[in-house]
Amino acid sequence: MDLQRDTEHTLLADSAERMLSENYDFSARHGSPADQGDDAAWADDMWRQFAELGWLALPFAEEDGGLGAGMVEISILTEAFGRNMVVEPYITTVVLCGGLVAAIGTPEQRAETLPAIGEGALRIAFMGGAAGDISVDAAPSGDGYVLSGARKSVIDAPMAGRLLVPARIGEGIGVFMIDCDATGVTLRPHRTLDGGRAADVELTGVNVGRAQMLGGLEDASDAIEAAIDRTIAALSADAVGAMAKLVEETVEYTKTREQFGKPISKFQVLAHRLVDMKVSEEEARAVTTLAVLSADAPASKRRRAVSSAKSKVGRCARFVGQNAIQTHGAIGTTADLTIGSYAKRLMVYEASYGSTARHAELYAAIIADPDTAGAGLLLSPAA
Amino acid sequence: MDLNLAPEDVAFAEEVRTFIDANLPDATRRAMTLTTAFLNEPELGYEWHKLLHKKGWSVPSWPDEWGGPGWTPVQKYIFDLESARAGAPVYNGQGSRMVGPVLMHFGTDEQKNKYLPSICSGEDHWCQGYSEPGSGSDLASLKTKAVADGDDYIINGQKIWTSFAHKSNCMFALVRTSTEGKRQEGITFILLDMDLPGITIRPIIGNGGDHEFNEVFFDDVRVPQSGRVGEENKGWDVAKYLLEFERGGALVAGRVRAQFAKVVRLIRDRGLIDDAHIRIRMAEIGADLDTMEMVDIRVLSDLQSGANPGAISSMLKMRWSSIRQEVSELALDAAGEDILKWEPERPLYDALQLPPDEEELLGIAPRYLNFRAYTILGGTNEIQAEILGKRVLGL
Repeated sequence: MDLQRDTEHTLLADSAERMLSENYDFSARHGSPADQGDDAAWADDMWRQFAELGWLALPFAEEDGGLGAGMVEISILTEAFGRNMVVEPYITTVVLCGGLVAAIGTPEQRAETLPAIGEGALRIAFMGGAAGDISVDAAPSGDGYVLSGARKSVIDAPMAGRLLVPARIGEGIGVFMIDCDATGVTLRPHRTLDGGRAADVELTGVNVGRAQMLGGLEDASDAIEAAIDRTIAALSADAVGAMAKLVEETVEYTKTREQFGKPISKFQVLAHRLVDMKVSEEEARAVTTLAVLSADAPASKRRRAVSSAKSKVGRCARFVGQNAIQTHGAIGTTADLTIGSYAKRLMVYEASYGSTARHAELYAAIIADPDTAGAGLLLSPAA
Repeated sequence: MDLNLAPEDVAFAEEVRTFIDANLPDATRRAMTLTTAFLNEPELGYEWHKLLHKKGWSVPSWPDEWGGPGWTPVQKYIFDLESARAGAPVYNGQGSRMVGPVLMHFGTDEQKNKYLPSICSGEDHWCQGYSEPGSGSDLASLKTKAVADGDDYIINGQKIWTSFAHKSNCMFALVRTSTEGKRQEGITFILLDMDLPGITIRPIIGNGGDHEFNEVFFDDVRVPQSGRVGEENKGWDVAKYLLEFERGGALVAGRVRAQFAKVVRLIRDRGLIDDAHIRIRMAEIGADLDTMEMVDIRVLSDLQSGANPGAISSMLKMRWSSIRQEVSELALDAAGEDILKWEPERPLYDALQLPPDEEELLGIAPRYLNFRAYTILGGTNEIQAEILGKRVLGL
């Protein structure tokens, strides 16, 4: 048992925070609400910098051109993404899609995909949501399949060259890799709530060969679920970063904003609310650590940790987001301050890969067994 | 970073579990299940403490020079967790977890030799004389007065909310020795025997039916000055040092976990597992529990690596006390109208002779009521928020 960050972790955290706070200009990337202009060139340049820093190759094995890091390093990075409101397709490309290819891809698929991700040459979006939430069917056809289906708001799809598509094959769920410009693929790009990019995607009779099916598996359900759980762990760290920033900014604001002749931080009702916000942030951080350190554990432990974290972090996120706005007063409701953008980012967290309520239900089903409910976290090791 | 215990710690946990399984009597387990006060009766704890003492485990956090087992922070945590989960009673935390460490730090050799061995063996039972009728959250306003007279102090005044004063033979107390200067600088930390002439104890019966708290009156009580810890008027520093030992992370985590598992069983047994309200509260409380256990583990990891856990540990009291209440509240909701039947006798385990599921129902409402005290005692949650606001957020 050891929850201390080592020197390399601290270096990664510091360098990520420095790089992003200096170079990741939120307003340049997101534009004002009125300015929805094209910033693809800016994003491409940023992605190249991510590649140069090794971030895009972080979790992949050395034989796949990666750096062999784990979820702890990923979460350090994504926490910095949350603090700096990064909307690049990192978690979808590297953690979810890259992770899935690394987990079940054939040697050819891995060789063709992972080094390209690591070098920054390939971005991939995932045409699915929570585990089991599948909206595409794969019908056998000749040597391959025909994919049909549609999904709204496929996160990061407009920035991606490829899609990873989970699709029903009879009772199973296979995963297909297709090009975004393949015949039969239609993308309708739009902005997301948090300033990111997504597209409504429709697949009409998209022909795929067996070579495009990850690992040649007609049922990859377990691997999909595991990859989504890792994604949730990474996203939870992102949400913790956003919450930390909201708490910092709100505390700072109350120390400078004066009413009735004194800083409003001196009013006890506000002071105690700030404490509750800070406690929520720390709670979110603690349970995120549980998800991060359980990401590679056997499925039963991983599920418990991830659903515990997603449901708890979701509750903390809503509390912190709402009270950051409330504590700022009228100005908090405007688009002029970044706190509104952070609050939106947390709303996206809550809605992604299974809502707070959905994970609370998944968690309830797990701990409805009293033995599981009574099992401590430390003495039943995660792996 | 990882959550896995080292092999030697896994083996240690196994050793602790085996010892508890083999030695903790079923009657004691039942009594703990039916304990409705937040501390179990000292008599129940004493028998277990004697067994632990024989094994050398009675004062887990003490150095071996004073009879401690010389455990690492992780071993202490495991021991507390396993003890609490198994339903082992606690005994005299105010001796072993409060005044003991204070004496090791501030006490004279004479005081150490006089008191530490009998805390270790369990012969002495201590109570804490802090709060007064007019001095609760604002403890430094305390008025119980000690006037020097030869080799003694003459003490007059009143303490209140003194847990198990009626079953203690020793007290550590804060008394006022000066009204000059800052209020905190006129307070002295003193040890005294409870059988001294002039001490009167009056019970306070809790809303949950238990006699745990007392009022303690001092009427010209002559206490030897040799019982003073630290210098006269420097008692506030001693009290602050003691506060660091008032948190019992693993003990709380283990106990709340065990109670939560029981409530989950109750919910199932009563066919409420698919009740929407109950189910969502169960999931929320369970996730809260996981969360705080992770905070505990982080503090433990800090201690283990020699780092200072810092202010994060201040939130433990605040959140754990609330979660404990929420678990007792969930039990209340699950029990429905079965909480209407009230058994006034205490302890319940002596009063009742019913099938286990029936008698356990009778503990739910008293426990819910008694547990309201968790967010009040040892510094209310509002006071904790004040501390966190100042220390963590610089408000």
